[in-house]
This record gives sequence, C-alpha cells and structure tokens, in this order.
Amino acid sequence: MVCRAHWRVIQPRVAVDAPERLFFDEHQWQTIEDATARIIPTDHQPGAREAAVVRYIDRYLSGIEYIYAAADGSGFLELDGHPAQSWTRRVEALRCAYSEGVRDLDRLSNEIFDSPFTELDEAKQDAVLVTLSGAPKPEPLGPGRAESIGTILQSASDHRLTFFNLLALHTRQGFYGDPFYGGNRDRIGWEVIGFPGPTSLRDTNDCSFSLESTYVTGKAWEDLIPHLRESAPLSTN
Amino acid sequence: MINRDVKSLQRKPDVVDVVIVGMGASGGTAAKVLSEAGLTVVGLDRGPWLSPQTHFSGDELKFLNRDYLGPDPALNPRTVRHDLNSKAEITSFSPVPQLVGGGTVHWAGWVPRPMPSDFKQRSLHGDIEGASLVDWPITYDELEPYLSKIEWEFGCAGLARSNKFEPPRSREYPMPPLPPTAFAAKFYEGCERLGINAYPFPIALASTSYKGREPANHTGFWNQFGDPTLMRSTTLTSFIPDALSTGRFELRPDCYVREVTVGSEGRAKGVVYVDAEGNEFEQEAKAVVLCLGAIESARLMLMSKSRYFPEGLANSSGYLGKNATFHETMWTVGLFDKDLHDPLYGYSGHQMNGGSFEFYETDESRGHIGGSVIASCTVAQPINWLHPGRPMWGQAGKDADRDFYNHAMAVELILHDMPQETNQVDLDPEVTDGWGLPVARITHKPHENDIRLATWQTNKNMEILEAAGAYRVLPTHLEKSTGNSFHQHGTARMGDNWSTSVLNEWCQAHDVDNLFVMDGSFFPTSTGVNPTLTIMAQAWRASEYLANIYARGRAE
Ligand SMILES: Cc1cc2nc3c(=O)[nH]c(=O)nc-3n(C[C@H](O)[C@H](O)[C@H](O)COP(=O)(O)OP(=O)(O)OC[C@H]3O[C@@H](n4cnc5c(N)ncnc54)[C@H](O)[C@@H]3O)c2cc1C
Repeated sequence: MVCRAHWRVIQPRVAVDAPERLFFDEHQWQTIEDATARIIPTDHQPGAREAAVVRYIDRYLSGIEYIYAAADGSGFLELDGHPAQSWTRRVEALRCAYSEGVRDLDRLSNEIFDSPFTELDEAKQDAVLVTLSGAPKPEPLGPGRAESIGTILQSASDHRLTFFNLLALHTRQGFYGDPFYGGNRDRIGWEVIGFPGPTSLRDTNDCSFSLESTYVTGKAWEDLIPHLRESAPLSTN
Repeated sequence: MINRDVKSLQRKPDVVDVVIVGMGASGGTAAKVLSEAGLTVVGLDRGPWLSPQTHFSGDELKFLNRDYLGPDPALNPRTVRHDLNSKAEITSFSPVPQLVGGGTVHWAGWVPRPMPSDFKQRSLHGDIEGASLVDWPITYDELEPYLSKIEWEFGCAGLARSNKFEPPRSREYPMPPLPPTAFAAKFYEGCERLGINAYPFPIALASTSYKGREPANHTGFWNQFGDPTLMRSTTLTSFIPDALSTGRFELRPDCYVREVTVGSEGRAKGVVYVDAEGNEFEQEAKAVVLCLGAIESARLMLMSKSRYFPEGLANSSGYLGKNATFHETMWTVGLFDKDLHDPLYGYSGHQMNGGSFEFYETDESRGHIGGSVIASCTVAQPINWLHPGRPMWGQAGKDADRDFYNHAMAVELILHDMPQETNQVDLDPEVTDGWGLPVARITHKPHENDIRLATWQTNKNMEILEAAGAYRVLPTHLEKSTGNSFHQHGTARMGDNWSTSVLNEWCQAHDVDNLFVMDGSFFPTSTGVNPTLTIMAQAWRASEYLANIYARGRAE
C-alpha cells in the first residue's frame, strides 16, 4: 500500500490535448457537449464548447487516472489505498449520474419537442434545461442590493449532487480549471474573464507565477489609515 | 532517540511520556513544547505527512473541488441536524483537512488576538436566555505572553498601533505587513468614508526574511491551497520540525486513532490506532494529549467508553460535546462597475489584508450583544469564486463572470456565536465512516442573538462596499450553520466547576488527571476572532504546565 505522501507520478493514457473519448459514447459526448455549451454559451467570445469542457468531463469519468495532477504538472498521481477505493466508487456514481442524465435530457426533449436533445435548437435546449433544473433561466445582474441567500461552503465537492448541478459545476470546472485536466483549452476560460492564470501548474509550484505587481505600493499606511496620520509617522510599504 | 523502524515490528510500541493525537495547530505546538522540555513524545495523525515543495501547487480542482487534503466526503462523512428531534442528514460540515500540520497547512493565516472581553462574557452580559454564557477560567492577561510567543515563534506580520482597539501587548509584531491588495485598498476607502478604523490584519506568514523563510509565494493560490514555499506559518514546516530535531519526538502519519484506553483507577493508559495497512496498535503513554479538533476530539472521547466512563471518557459531567460553537462565516460580496473602477484582482494576495475591530464590543443599541471582526477578503479562484446567488448558467452566468470576476471583493464577518447546551457533537446512531466507526453528528441551531448580530453586521458590510462604490452587493444571511468557517470550539469546555465543564484551566480533564485536550474544544465561549492563535497560545501554556508542573509532580 502506497501512502498519499508517496503516490507515484504516472503518465496518463492520452496526452493533454489528445481528442480521444475515454468514457462517453458518441451520443453521450455530443449531448453533454451541447448541454455544456448552454451552461457557458459561445458569444463574441468562446464558451464551453471551444474550451473542450466535454473532454474534461470525459476524462474525469474515465477512471481514477485523472483525479489529481502532480504538483509540478509532470503527470497524474497514482492513487492507492482507501482514497483509490473511494474515488473508484465516486467515479462510478458520477458515471451513472451522467448516463442517466443523458437519458433524462433525451426523454425530456422527446416529451416536449419530439426530438433528441442534440437535434434541438439552442432556445429549445434551454427550455429542456429549465425543466431539468426546476428553476427559471437565470437573469442578468442589475445594480443595487441583491436578495440575500443562506451561507454556503465555498469549496464545492460534487459528492451527492443531482445531475443538473453536476453539469453546471463540472462545466465551470472544465472552463476554468487548469488546462492539464483536459478542459480550458488554450486557457480560453481564463482569457474570457481576464484571469491571468499560470502558464502551467509548475509555475504555481515553483511560484514563478506571481501577482505581486497588482499590489498597491507607494502608498504610506498613513494614507490608508486616518488615525495614523494623527500619531507619529510610521513605515511606508 | 526513538527508532522509527520499531513500530512496524510490534503491535505495542514502547511506552512514552506523552502520546499526542492530531498533529495540527495545537498538536504541533504541544509536540514542540513537550519534546523541548525533555519528554519523549509520539505524535499520531490520521493524515499523510506531505512536503510542501513536492505536493503543493495552485491547482484549484485538486485542492478545492476534489478534496486532495481530505476529508473525503464518502470516507469521512458527518451528519447534521438543526435540533434534537430531527433526523440528521449526511453533509460535509466544517471539513478541516486531515494531514500532518492540520488546518495550518492550507489556512489563510489570520491571527487577530482575542479581546479581554472575550474571557468574561458572563460577567459582562449576565444570563442570556437560551445561551450558556460563562467566563473563561483564565484572563486575557494570563494568555497574553503566549499570544506573543506564538506570534514570534510561528511568525506573523502586522502593524503596531494601526488597530485603534488593539488589546495590550507585551511585544510588537515580528514582521511588517505586506502592501495592500487592490481590493484591500478599496476596503480602506469605504471604511474611511464611514469613519471606520480599518487596519492591516495580522497574518501568519513571513513578509520579510524570517527564520530561514522568505516571502516567496505571491501566486494568490493561498487560502485552501498548500503553500509550496515556507512563506506561510504552518506547524508542518515549523513546530513539528523543531520537535523532531530534539530527537525525543516520533511522528507517525497515516495512523487513525479510534480509542483512548483506560487503565486501572480510571486513568488514561494509551491510544489504539489503525495504520494505513490496517494493522492495529496500542501506544501507551504516561499522559495522553488530544488535539484532533473540537469535533473529532469529542467524537473520540465519546467513542472511548469504558467501565469507568460508560458515557464517554472524562464525561462524568455529561457536558462532553455540548456548547459547540462554529463561527459561521458571513460573506458580503461587492461587484464593481468595470467602466468606473480599476480591477480589484480579487484573487491576489493572501486572502485578505484589511480588517476592523470597530464593531467588536457590545453596544446594545445595535440590538445584540457581542460583535465580530470584519475583514476584506478575496473572492478566490475562477471555479469557486465567491458569488452568493450566482446565476448558474446561460448568458447571465457567463456575463456575471466576465463582467465582474476582476471587479469583485468580499467583506467577511466571523460570527461570534452564542454557546447553547443543545448545540452539540455526539455519535451518529446510524452512519459510520470508512472504518465502520460512528461519525460525528452535529446538532446546531443559531441563537436569536447570532441572527441579529449577523444581520446587523451584514448591513454594515453592505454599507462599506457601497461607500467604496460597489455596483451590486450580495449579502448572505444565517439560515443554518454550515461549518464554513472551519472553526470549531467548545465541546469540552474549560471551567472551575467539575459538574458543568470537562477541563480545567490547563486543558486537563477534571475526571482523568493524565488526559489533556488542547484543541478548540476547550473554549468556554466562542470569541469573535479566528481561533487558531488562541488555540495555539493556550496549547503552549497547557503543555508547559504538563511538562514543568504535572510531569515533575508525578515523577517525584
Ligand atoms: C480553509 C481554511 C482556512 C482557515 N483559515 C484560518 C485563519 O485564517 N485563521 C484561523 O485562526 N483559523 C483558520 N482556519 C481554522 C484552523 O485551521 C483551525 O482552527 C485549526 O487548525 C485548529 O487546530 P486544531 O489543532 O484544533 O486542529 P487541526 O489543525 O485541524 O488538527 C487536527 C489534526 O487531527 C488529526 N486527526 C483527527 N482525527 C484523528 C484521529 N482519529 N486520529 C488521528 N489523527 C486525527 C487530523 O488529521 C488533523 O491533522 C482555517 C481552516 C480552513 C480549513
């Protein structure tokens, strides 16, 4: 049994930018690709489709080979022991959720529009997602005070989520996660929102990726903290 | 010197002076103080012993979404219910990672000091209906030297006199603060307009060269990520190596303790644990120190039933697990118009840097007692960036990210929650973990005062963001506790009264003289600040007592 601290770094089956399908069949791939493209649509800028989000999800569901990248981005970790068993079961549960989810999308599409999901136009696909999610399509944000919501945990595990929530969360993950996991192709997701992002995981491991230039320098603390102006001058930063 | 190889050969390793369970903030501190005082110590942690440079990176999927540092929600679930009569549901409640170094490995590192008032809540406020307020058996002044010790030994950056409400301190900060981030500067702006004293919050990191450490990590991958450098103050990279270098401390990672054994006369004999291969061991020791975090320490003691303690170890009072407090974190997020404001880079820096104690002390005109610290903080990385009520999909979702990700910041409050006897940790009667052991069941319902405080302060935080020019503000409210602050306290309160508390002022169990609990369990009330500085200071103080008074007394 190899403990977490000593998990080996292995090279996964296919290279980062390889096009192969590892889990989905062709129909599932297309359905999920279309669905992710409604979660983060293409407009004057790329969306989930261009970022290869479906490939990200496909790799995640392919087994436990793509769960954790090595810290320096040199490969993926070979899980062992309890975590390996647990992730095998978790991925199995996700596979079921996706297989059923694709069937549900088609079932709803057939019920409402008499065609499978991939053959619907975007507006009809949206209507299906609205039914699936059980909530209206989200509205643009206006100014002012939003309605308050209950507190949440910031780190979101996908354990036990329903299919629509999985789809929405995994689309974000595939759009904004490190490209090493198969999505966020050419760092498209980061570019759309203006996140500078590292060029590779290695840059975050050796800390050559730095946001230090965004700090506010050249202002004295007295400029920021009025009551310090009244007392003796202190340090600058 | 203890030989590391011996453990794999025998199921009953040699008896040592002290066995510590849990190698996090408090356990790491205890290991250092006890081994440096000359005692032989074994430290057990259920998690791995990772090395920063080999194992840590800015990989959001790995650290935030796929629980690389654990706990795996399938293997280590918890259950939560909101009152004693409801059925508990499985949820990840307060999922503090499990590994050597514990919560300090990936924490933000805010280390504000508690205030003198935190130690005498009952004297100040009397009996509050539905709450079980008590005074601490120690005062701020008694803890103060240890707060300074931790700030200096562990490393902490702050600016003297910048906090108008600073409690008395015997030493300055060891290091100056880092420059503010763009979003912190906005916070200072909003606060100045409202006449609120904002100041650079003390944070446990090396802002200058310090004890062989450099301020080397400016990636912004900070809170919830392991730091591949030595910049962040963690017990993994400081106190635990200090303990190892004494030659009297042995660290055993991947060892899950499932029982504290009780010998003749009802004293603690040692602990039983299972290693990664599934082998079971009993480590005997003259004293047992529990540092598992307030939820897991209570759970372990409740699982350790014996002839002497049929209701759980050291639980003759019946108070073990009760009065749990969890400091819900309440975020208010401000979104700024990108045509009017420069980018805020809400993913830069070290999670936060401006904070305020302006609203900390009771002012009854606000309609509640107590108060909380507030601070400006990051919204973090793109997948999980904080956006309460985020439009989940479609054009609105994409536009929300595109228009506001670079122009968003949060103001956070740490809810100073009231202790209540019915808010508790016990053993779930049905749900078990990956080892077949009952999981911790949390029962928690906010007190009326918690809700009032949260609402009042959230309103104030909205005003700050608006004064700074926010286009849209997104508040949160307190429906139920989610454990999202990762702060845990109160399950084995310290107190002078044996019938209503579990520990004395040295974190020593009233019922079992050689059992100490040094994690947040000992908090009699929750305070309104991040707890870890206080936990570590008291762990240091209690360890000194254990080594210099208790152990000597017994040896003579
Ligand atoms: C993302 C995040 C950010 C945080 N930021 C801050 C902050 O800015 N400021 C602050 O003050 N606090 C912060 N905290 C909280 C802080 O981490 C905790 O208060 C602190 O770590 C508690 O210390 P502890 O010693 O009680 O427990 P921990 O540090 O949690 O250590 C407990 C250890 O016990 C081990 N353990 C548990 N059960 C067993 C068992 N049965 N057998 C063997 N070992 C076991 C665990 O693996 C763990 O390593 C943060 C927490 C998180 C998760």
